[in-house]
Amino acid sequence: MHFWPRLRAQLAGAHTALVLLFILAPIAIMVPISLTAGTMLTLPVPGWSWQWYEVVFTDPRWTRAFMNSLIIGAASTVLATILGTFAAIGLTWGRFPGQRLMLAVISVPLILPIIIMGVACFSFYATMGLVGSRLALVLAHAGLAAPVVVTTVMANLKSFDRTLMRAGASLGAGPLLAFRRILVPLVAPGICTGALIAFLISFDEVVIASFLTTADQRTLPRQIFSGVRESISPAIAAAAVILILCSAIVLALTAEMQRRARKLQMKPR
Amino acid sequence: MTQADSIQRETYRAPGFWRSVFSKILFGAEMRHFALVLPLLLFILVTVVVPVGHFLYRAIDNSTLANNLPHAAASLENWQPQDGVPGNATFAAFAADIRAAVAAETLGQMAQSLNQQLTGTRNMMLKAGLMVDDSITDLNAKDMLLAKLPGLANVKMWMLVKAGRSSFTDFYLLQSLDLERNLNGEIAAVAPDRSIFLAAIWRTIVISINVTLICALLALPVAHVLASARPPYAGILLALVLFPLWTSLLVRTVSWIIILQGEGPVNTSLQFLGLIDDPLHLVYTRGSLYIAMVQVLLPLMILSILAVVVKLPKELVRAATSLGADWWQAYWRVQLPLIAPGIVTGAGIVFVFALGYYITPALIGGPRDQMLSSYVALYTNKTLNWGLAAALALQLLLVLAVAMLGWAAFQKLSRGKS
Repeated sequence: MHFWPRLRAQLAGAHTALVLLFILAPIAIMVPISLTAGTMLTLPVPGWSWQWYEVVFTDPRWTRAFMNSLIIGAASTVLATILGTFAAIGLTWGRFPGQRLMLAVISVPLILPIIIMGVACFSFYATMGLVGSRLALVLAHAGLAAPVVVTTVMANLKSFDRTLMRAGASLGAGPLLAFRRILVPLVAPGICTGALIAFLISFDEVVIASFLTTADQRTLPRQIFSGVRESISPAIAAAAVILILCSAIVLALTAEMQRRARKLQMKPR
Repeated sequence: MTQADSIQRETYRAPGFWRSVFSKILFGAEMRHFALVLPLLLFILVTVVVPVGHFLYRAIDNSTLANNLPHAAASLENWQPQDGVPGNATFAAFAADIRAAVAAETLGQMAQSLNQQLTGTRNMMLKAGLMVDDSITDLNAKDMLLAKLPGLANVKMWMLVKAGRSSFTDFYLLQSLDLERNLNGEIAAVAPDRSIFLAAIWRTIVISINVTLICALLALPVAHVLASARPPYAGILLALVLFPLWTSLLVRTVSWIIILQGEGPVNTSLQFLGLIDDPLHLVYTRGSLYIAMVQVLLPLMILSILAVVVKLPKELVRAATSLGADWWQAYWRVQLPLIAPGIVTGAGIVFVFALGYYITPALIGGPRDQMLSSYVALYTNKTLNWGLAAALALQLLLVLAVAMLGWAAFQKLSRGKS
């Protein structure tokens, strides 16, 4: 009688292991491929070498793409985080007419198919002559990331005790001072998490980038994308590993942020 | 409240009452909250909603023709396709319109717009642009133009010109549903060899449904294992499931191309084992599309189901077993109905994401596996056919809206039950 439950558990465990292998293998294989001594994207690799990382870090096409990604990612993160944080405060604490509609409009980028966003931005910015400028891509990426910042900060604000703001006010702090000295420090982990995700969204985004950039503003994913279609070289894998590493760092940082958020909320008041 | 009371309330205002009402509205807490949301709202409107609206409007926009062919269109007011090629007056107006378009440098635009609705008209219009400077008068316009441009004898061309009386067109919307207007102006299906879009819509829906089902089946046992894992392992397992979600979609898709390609690890190991002699065509097929899409979307399904499974009371199965149910009955009739909301949530998310997928089908699917998104991109990139691209985008949004409404209705229903 004890045979079946154990077999069931073992089967479920084996299934889980296979599923994990299935979802992680495509990420893992990029590492050996990026270290290949050959010139093909194949496994097993003929030998080991750092040459493709050298290409990515020295070839002007890749370095320019890397710089573009950093600049566009940083600019859209700042924009999305500032706008998103203020909106999250207003939406969490406010009770004004049309609030649900506003939240719905702000959430549009979350469900809008990315291709429609890409083509629409292309069509819109082309009429203004902004295609091929970093500005257009920064605006588009910030629009894409801001709703995510709103969601993240709203989740963190729900556990924020508003009486603290009133306490601050009773002690003579104006709204700005209370915001700066009470709200921001306590919600900082949420804001930082939102900012990190916003950066990652911009850093990984390729569809809008493929419509709004010319060779000069190509971002890292955009360069990988054209590399896949034009010249398959293991440099793509090296660039992919850089993207994966960035994701890993951001994931680790957000986990740390959320841990801090829980700690802040658990502090005795 | 007595009448006297209300009269007094109406009439007596403390000094500064209106000022305080005014300042409450303008500087009160609600206004402050509204003012905090406003910048982002405006930003999203300007960077997302307006561009998308501007783009979708192109599905019905006929203003290029309406603005460039006003006289020719007006002269066809009483003309019907059955009347055949219109008379000299129309040709004269047509020549005048082209002359004006050449002067305004909008001829190319107009030719492009016409060409999207009737192939081959672009060159004809450009040639007409070179001709109109010559000796075309109001009297000989028809003979002169028809002699050099036989395409103008096509009645369909004049139907298009007549449609220029309106700034709106249903041409692209009909085309995206494999429909067109025939010579009598009635809506009819296009020839089967030209009908591609209904199949594309259907394919998009079928692929999304299949991906959702596969994800649900694969995710269910994983969610149970994750929910019953002990603390240190539970966190590690969760991180392993989360990690792919955070890595670039593009990277994961490219990786599947490498794995599944002719010289990829799957084919080489199968050959090494002697199971196959020649490499299998695994990449650029429907199968590879399913593999890549499921890999990308599976974590979302696992997380949605996990959120429900962790809240299930452990005693449920024991209670059911004590009442005589075997394991399968306990699972099927007690646990699964309680997990269903999680599955539905996950299915909604996965389905909606799958519908709009572009990168994965574009890179790893074959020509017969392309979804609506790819067609939107195709008509934008290759032919700059904005009208058709926008009409197809509208279809995609429509499918999405129906899916989301159905999902919301289902959730409301299931919540009403429990």
